[in-house]
Amino acid sequence: MSQEMEKLYQERLTRYVAAMRKEKPDRVPIRPFAAEFAGKYAGYNNQQVTHDVDLAFDAIMKCCRDFNWDATVGNMVYVWTGLTEAVGLNYYTIPGIDKPVTDAFQYVEPADEEGAFMKADEYDEFIADPAGFVANVWMPRANKYAVAPGQPNTAKNNLSWLKGGMAMLHYFNKFGAQVGRMKSETGTVHAIAGCLKAPFDILADKFRGFRQLCADIHRQPKKVLAACEALMPHMYYCAVAGSDPTKTVPISIWLHRGCTPFLSPKQFESFFWPTCKKIIEDLHAEGRQVLWYAEGDWNPNLRYIAELPEKSIIYHVDRADPFEVYEKVGHKFAISGGIPNDILAYGTPDEVRARCKEVIDRVGRNGGYIMDAGAIMQDDSTIENVKAMTEFTVEYGVYR
Amino acid sequence: MAQKKQKKAIRPGVCFPWEEKVKEYPVIMGDPKILQKSWEEIDSLAYLYLWFCIMQS
Repeated sequence: MSQEMEKLYQERLTRYVAAMRKEKPDRVPIRPFAAEFAGKYAGYNNQQVTHDVDLAFDAIMKCCRDFNWDATVGNMVYVWTGLTEAVGLNYYTIPGIDKPVTDAFQYVEPADEEGAFMKADEYDEFIADPAGFVANVWMPRANKYAVAPGQPNTAKNNLSWLKGGMAMLHYFNKFGAQVGRMKSETGTVHAIAGCLKAPFDILADKFRGFRQLCADIHRQPKKVLAACEALMPHMYYCAVAGSDPTKTVPISIWLHRGCTPFLSPKQFESFFWPTCKKIIEDLHAEGRQVLWYAEGDWNPNLRYIAELPEKSIIYHVDRADPFEVYEKVGHKFAISGGIPNDILAYGTPDEVRARCKEVIDRVGRNGGYIMDAGAIMQDDSTIENVKAMTEFTVEYGVYR
Repeated sequence: MAQKKQKKAIRPGVCFPWEEKVKEYPVIMGDPKILQKSWEEIDSLAYLYLWFCIMQS
């Protein structure tokens, strides 16, 4: 790594960390999460960056070389479908297989009780041993090759476990190298490390399906709460296992079903919040920050989120009003995002610059703000608009 | 993290506890801690594989 690149990296890291700790750096850092956008920019279609992880990594490297981003993620096309196909997971639609190569991958959540990976009467079994349930019940249902214990074994079952483990090792080895390349070749900071999910979200997304879980919170609310509590130590363990050992960059939590209108504030308070809050408090007690990636509109729940310890999270704004977020929790947490993906996709560069100016002026004027799109940037974000967001931030975001 | 609610569950990070594995050995002639360390390291990766399938894919 050259001295010049090391210097650039340290400048960017200092800027990014200062903003996350609610300090005022030399300028507003910019930290876009480029998913399919990176492929578009590099000339790859969605099948290529979703299924060929080397191309996905190359696409990000091209963005790192060409854009003046302080931090980003080594691959934000969140699911490498080479891995999911090796395992045999059956809840995706994949560009190039189920849908055109121009579409993005998508999760297919269980739509009814029959399709649920956990049935309504299986809460007790799940609560008693969530990890055992994942291995012995969830996997055979969510995986077209896996065989449940007690059923005749198959070669495909054996291979699913073997290839799945090898694929994950393969992916994370490559990911580690990608983080090193970003740093040594482009001086770009890897923005996050470690993944957290709220227990309620995991229960909704991967076990019951949201529709079924909505019925459960009325029919068997105590079981739902107990399941969230049973998940809590596992979510915590996994978050820490993948986190930055230096505790410099945050653990990300991708938030799904706690926002408006999926849950009412009362339901949020009862079901979503207690276990999610406890995990973040425990991570904070150990000196770890969490990137609170509030997908959708979470503003009706700001009074709860304000209960979290100061600087325990970086509050990321997607579709909500960033100015209300700043007013209500800006005294406690750094804020990121607030540039609507709609503008990046359908607006003009002038509109992008105007929005960036307004957010920097009103949310970032005292530091503690990180420029970013509201959500991960897919291939509908235009290149000229992402350039406008980047260049405007670098020029206008300087603190004087 | 409090784990009071998990009465029967194996602790986080574990699939096949060392306490069960060690019962398979009639006798350990060397240092059991060496065996335990490598067993638990790989076991925790298996645990993470299971949960990463849930959380990251």
